Amino acid sequence: MLEGINKIRDLEWEVPIGYVPDMRVPGRFFLSLALAETLEEGAVRQLANVATLPGIVKHSLAMPDIHWGYGFPIGGVAAFDTVSGVISPGGVGFDINCGVRLITTPLTEADLAGKKRELIEALFSAVPTGVGTKSALRLSNKELTDIMIDGSRWAVERGFGTKGDLIRCEDEGAMPGADPEAVSAKARQRGLPQLGTLGAGNHFLEIQVAREIVNPEVARAFGVSEGQICLMIHCGSRGLGHQVATDHLRALEGALRKYNIQLPDRQLACAPIDSPEGRAYYAGMACAANYAWANRQVIMHEARKAFAQIFSIDYDEMRLVYDVAHNVAKFEHHDVNGTSMEVCVHRKGATRAFGPGAPGIPHEYAAVGQPVLIPGSMGTSSYLLHGTETAMQKTWGSTCHGAGRVMSRSKAKKSIRGRELKEDLAKEGILVRAHRDSVLAEEAPEVYKPSHEVVRVVHEAGLSGTVVRLEPLGVIKG
Amino acid sequence: MSFEELDHTADVLMRIRGATLSELFSDAGRAMFHVMHGDLCEDRSIVRQITLEAEDLESLLIDYLSELLFIADAESFVFCTFDVDLQGNRLSATLRGEPFDLARHTGGALIKGISYFGLEIIKEKDVYMVDIIFDI
Repeated sequence: MLEGINKIRDLEWEVPIGYVPDMRVPGRFFLSLALAETLEEGAVRQLANVATLPGIVKHSLAMPDIHWGYGFPIGGVAAFDTVSGVISPGGVGFDINCGVRLITTPLTEADLAGKKRELIEALFSAVPTGVGTKSALRLSNKELTDIMIDGSRWAVERGFGTKGDLIRCEDEGAMPGADPEAVSAKARQRGLPQLGTLGAGNHFLEIQVAREIVNPEVARAFGVSEGQICLMIHCGSRGLGHQVATDHLRALEGALRKYNIQLPDRQLACAPIDSPEGRAYYAGMACAANYAWANRQVIMHEARKAFAQIFSIDYDEMRLVYDVAHNVAKFEHHDVNGTSMEVCVHRKGATRAFGPGAPGIPHEYAAVGQPVLIPGSMGTSSYLLHGTETAMQKTWGSTCHGAGRVMSRSKAKKSIRGRELKEDLAKEGILVRAHRDSVLAEEAPEVYKPSHEVVRVVHEAGLSGTVVRLEPLGVIKG
Repeated sequence: MSFEELDHTADVLMRIRGATLSELFSDAGRAMFHVMHGDLCEDRSIVRQITLEAEDLESLLIDYLSELLFIADAESFVFCTFDVDLQGNRLSATLRGEPFDLARHTGGALIKGISYFGLEIIKEKDVYMVDIIFDI
């Protein structure tokens, strides 16, 4: 472990006050010694920087997929007092409500035999992917306004899904407090042609098989059985969200002097939660988050149609298990020293993992905690987990969001060839489709921490419990 | 003058150098489109002009790159030449390029935003230098 960090107990570490100047609270993170070998000092410094922000409550936290980002570290979680605290776009990121959803199908691997390539091509043509691609949907400005307020609900009302989808979605697919007035004309212009598009980078559609049921009782509650074919969707709020983040980051950066906030990193630009700038950021961020939920809903709809057509199965047989956001700030009530307190929880590359009985999770999952979706890297396992009471106590009901990178894209491009990687994966039965094979190298399995180790840490630290391990069979890369 | 990619685990870190500040800004634009689309871009009579003003050069650089991202995404353009004129903290630039073409321009990395983290324009000997993290 890096110097200056104290061990609290197995898998739990403290960054003491004083690690960087002006920390108001200590930092806490969760990591195994194996993962500590790749821990960057820069990521710990970012975790400590977050602890200098006004109104931070208890700890600046990071999950085991912690890595060096900008502003908050990736994997960072922090809660702020709604009276004295701040809200920061640096604690959410540019891709507001980047998130993941998982649907099940009635199919097994045997059903896919001989049809996998056809399915992948159908999904690839149904969902626009990559840099610069546009949606087939033509939205009006009025429709975009409705999407920013109603999120997934707008999509379902337009026929892109069923009412049952809404219940199985964090915030039922639309967070409150969205105000389209806080979204610039530029953000609107970018959002109009992109609804239902995947984007690029680490975004994907993945055909998976539920290979291993680790917790049968909870898997039953989530409606997932061994051998079942599933589809995972990972994407966010596209250009609209990026523009909202850019616009408000700039505005907040310009207002730092007004609120006399001193920062160690300009990317942590923030404003009091209850200030015109802070309220405007929240309202714009909520619009972008709702756009992202509508986006994943539309993509899921197109994917369901492709499955239905190829396998002659019913649309309604493809049930949404859950949809989680992993880049967002939200008002939530949590227990602080025995009293319920409203805080603004920032999760940047971290997933909400509310435990049994927590408010805001679907009634059908109330007894076991909310489903948590952890995508693996391309070619490695993804996981379905459940939220826990321990997460409620220690991490504001949060857990990791993915594997976390260990190799830079520039190194990956030098050492890995996209085409060879594609052929290697094909030998393992994993078909990969992208506009160009060269983009695959940057997302190769070896550039990420092993997802099983990250998941093992959150499971053993009690932040969430493993339910199902899913193996990839086919990937569409953004 | 030049740009080079440095190691960064999560995002893309580019080091830009320029003999003048105008050149630094121009090359920062080139670096950004290199990340997104490689070097497949030609001047095919798409021209856009922008003027911006900010309280300091670092903010101006972020505003300028964010504006390029916006135009490229909203209008589906790829830019390859950037004639930048800087007067203090005021910038005017002429951008030239071509319409985005799915067959030629896919395969790069989509840039989501320009990070303030570690962004500082410094002058070493006679060369201006800045490290920029592009969130992708």
